[in-house]
Amino acid sequence: MTSFDSDKAAELHRHLHSHLPSDPALRVKALESLAIERGLVAPETIDAWVEAYSEHIGPMRGAQVIARAWTDPDFKSRLMENATEAIKDFGFEGNATGHLHAVENTDAQHNMVVCTLCSCYPFSILGMSPAWYKSAAYRSRAVREPRAVLAEFGVFLPDDVALRVWDSTAELRYIVVPQRPDGTDGWDADRLAGIVTRNSMIGTERDLKAEG
Amino acid sequence: MDGIHDLGGKQGHGPVPVDTGDAPFSHDWERRMWGLAREGLVPSMTIDWFRHGLEMMVPADYLTQSYFEKWATNYLMIFADDGIASLQEIEAGHVADPAPRAAAKTTQEVVEQVRTGCTDFSLPPDAPAKFSIGDKVLTLDHGTAPHTRLPGYARGRHGTIIAHHGAHLLPDEGAKGRHVGDHLYTISFTARELWGPDAHPADTVTLELWESYLVPPR
Repeated sequence: MTSFDSDKAAELHRHLHSHLPSDPALRVKALESLAIERGLVAPETIDAWVEAYSEHIGPMRGAQVIARAWTDPDFKSRLMENATEAIKDFGFEGNATGHLHAVENTDAQHNMVVCTLCSCYPFSILGMSPAWYKSAAYRSRAVREPRAVLAEFGVFLPDDVALRVWDSTAELRYIVVPQRPDGTDGWDADRLAGIVTRNSMIGTERDLKAEG
Repeated sequence: MDGIHDLGGKQGHGPVPVDTGDAPFSHDWERRMWGLAREGLVPSMTIDWFRHGLEMMVPADYLTQSYFEKWATNYLMIFADDGIASLQEIEAGHVADPAPRAAAKTTQEVVEQVRTGCTDFSLPPDAPAKFSIGDKVLTLDHGTAPHTRLPGYARGRHGTIIAHHGAHLLPDEGAKGRHVGDHLYTISFTARELWGPDAHPADTVTLELWESYLVPPR
């Protein structure tokens, strides 16, 4: 049973620090062998999870949700009211999206999402998080100098656009609703979904392009 | 806790590595780690014990190990703590007395498991909320030991409540294995309140904070 003893955790970490191989591949291999031999997971199940998050669950899900919001005003109002309920239309609810909130970019406001304390992310709707999202640089700077961070992504936010940074400190997760670009009149939701990028749903991209 | 994980506002970490590509994983061991973690593996732990375990890592390891590497290290600590494997077994990479193999799941089954595994962290409140939307509040200027979700950069600061979510599990207690509800609010802080007069006047940072982290403004 878990001890929930902080001092014991610190002591075990120090022991492991001096006794484990430094190669992460070997550490994961040890963990996998222990878990399989204890009957906690089958190796084929690990393969299944990898395939699920490589082929089936990813930012294409979020893109479909955004495209629907752009083309269906009723869906958009439900999404803004309760995103956890709204994404059930697609069967996209699940891991880390039990308390999902959609926040909308406008001409006057931009939104950007971070988790400074760990790397919380809405997995079931955006898939695996990008490496930069989990970096110490993004986690430390997104709340303090977000405009400089955006500039590193090539986004130069005008002074008259307010920026709101959402630090995911609890179990709420966020998806940014980017603005629909000009030049997409008459596009159907499938075509629109093709231009919605992962970064635009995290808020490190602002102006989507009508290409595709 | 005031650990190395509390990165918000820290300086000196350099540019954001923006060109990390779109691939969800860069190494096979990352794929294996992700798949393992999706199965939970340790029924007796809580999400906050997992997070607290990461916080208790050797600080230099926390900063130098990548995301999935930290997960592997932390899971091994959690296995040892729980007794799933002894330290000797962890170092050997094998258990002395293997159990029967777990049943295999298909991709279709795990995709469905994602959908049905939508976790609700809200609890029925045991007391009325002390604050309402629009209220000004002050955050505590100290954290609670050992685990808290009140980051250092937002302590002792004035903010405005912009949403109330009812009661949610309090992580400070969750890290001790206890299920206690506390009212949860989204609080907006001006960038200038957090970072001083050089910050952009229109910018804000919002955090979800529990009622026990808050007091009325002074």
